[in-house]
Amino acid sequence: MINLIGGVPLYVLEFGDELVYLTPYTITLFLLALTFTVLVLISRPEKQVDIAFGGDAYRTKEISVSEMRFRRFMAIACGLATMGAMVTGDIFNFTLFTAMVGITNVGIVAAVKSPHVQDAAYQYGLVSLSATIPLFGGAAVYAATTGSLSMIELMKGTLPAVPLIAKGMLMLGVIGEGMAPFYAAKAEMFRAPGAPYVIMCSLSSLLIFLRVVEVVMLG
Amino acid sequence: MTSRSSGTDMIAELVLATFFGLLLLGIHRKIIARIQRRPGPPIWQEILHMLKFSFKTTWIPKTASPVLFVGVVLIAIGIWTAAFYILVSGGSLLVILGIYMLHKIVEHGFGLSSGSPYGKYGGVRSVISAASEIPLFVTVAVIAVYTHSLDLSAIMQYQQVHGPLLIIAFPAACAMFLVILSKMPFGPFSIVEAKELVSGYKTEHFGIWRAGLEICNGLKTYVLLAVFLAVFIGPLSLPWLLVGMILLIVILAFACAVTPMMSPFDSVTIQMLVTALMLVYAAIILMVVHP
Repeated sequence: MINLIGGVPLYVLEFGDELVYLTPYTITLFLLALTFTVLVLISRPEKQVDIAFGGDAYRTKEISVSEMRFRRFMAIACGLATMGAMVTGDIFNFTLFTAMVGITNVGIVAAVKSPHVQDAAYQYGLVSLSATIPLFGGAAVYAATTGSLSMIELMKGTLPAVPLIAKGMLMLGVIGEGMAPFYAAKAEMFRAPGAPYVIMCSLSSLLIFLRVVEVVMLG
Repeated sequence: MTSRSSGTDMIAELVLATFFGLLLLGIHRKIIARIQRRPGPPIWQEILHMLKFSFKTTWIPKTASPVLFVGVVLIAIGIWTAAFYILVSGGSLLVILGIYMLHKIVEHGFGLSSGSPYGKYGGVRSVISAASEIPLFVTVAVIAVYTHSLDLSAIMQYQQVHGPLLIIAFPAACAMFLVILSKMPFGPFSIVEAKELVSGYKTEHFGIWRAGLEICNGLKTYVLLAVFLAVFIGPLSLPWLLVGMILLIVILAFACAVTPMMSPFDSVTIQMLVTALMLVYAAIILMVVHP
């Protein structure tokens, strides 16, 4: 129906069946993921202030060095997975990167010693784990019906049409990784201190959603 | 010489768009005030705000993450500058709407980077109001079904031949109007800036950082209104574009003035309902227009 949704491919790097392709759209998304990953690398976490409501008391939360190192590692891993998802030209790789984003999102807040955050991370983990079923299932239906997982091949329009159910499953899988309406637990995760790391949780979901919009319009 | 002069033109366009966007926000405030029988500030108040903050003492709170605190201001200006040039060059609607969604991350970054609890809750509310963005993509999908393209220039060409999409795809226009409404200050969905959170996500950003945020808001307002007109009305000459934007801001101001701010729960519920309705509409369009 619509070709070249993300613009004309500017560069295609092929590794056998695997390929990376850059369009104005994917470059924009990739650069944003890169910018925020660099911010994670060079930022130190804030000292979150908690107020005791009904009084004047307040305290600042400190993040220990070991906790900061682990969370920064997970945030960088999340950034790398997001960048991969932005430029990959293969639907299976896209689903793998998406699943990795789900795992690293839990990792970013898993080291925070707060029961609210831990509960939210656990609930988010269950949702994102469940979402991998339609995610990988969608990719499987793509392969079964078109015989290819290459976005470039789908873009050419020479393959059989992708069934709506495959697109729906792929979209549902991505939405389950942290978009509305499955994002309630994720919003609770943002209570955690460490803004540069926590922000990667929302950025990664958002960028992957933006990418899947392009992916489902192909073929 | 030519490239230098075109570069200067582009910067001039950007500055004018920012100032006009701030003027639109001033008109918005003024109309809301008059409807509520208050005198309200002069319409150039937002421009004065931006200039005032530019020369105020600037600081970074002791509790903040300094790089993120400053970096997010630059990112905010950067993404809306990019959106403006995509609009001017008739580029991809998908990229502009992607930038619109990324503004959510900017709000989130503004709120969390300071360490302030008010900013934090503003940021968290920004995340939970992400439901408002989904109708946007349904709108995009519907437009794509009709025009077979997501380039703004192609969408405008389509409307020159077939008439405005405002008539052809009226529910999609309503959905996008609601999306813009959710980004307007003092509106029913402005839960990120609710008074119980002081100024929400922007509470701790003062001085030059706040001026940067005001610039971003001006540019964002200009881009969103211009995109709405380009996508649903078609190509307009500059005077008509400016008139159209003023008309649109008047309608938005009426909607904001007569609607109380909702609770976060109600705000998200209504946005989810709109999303569901838009999904049904998109499914019908897909079956009828492009079976």
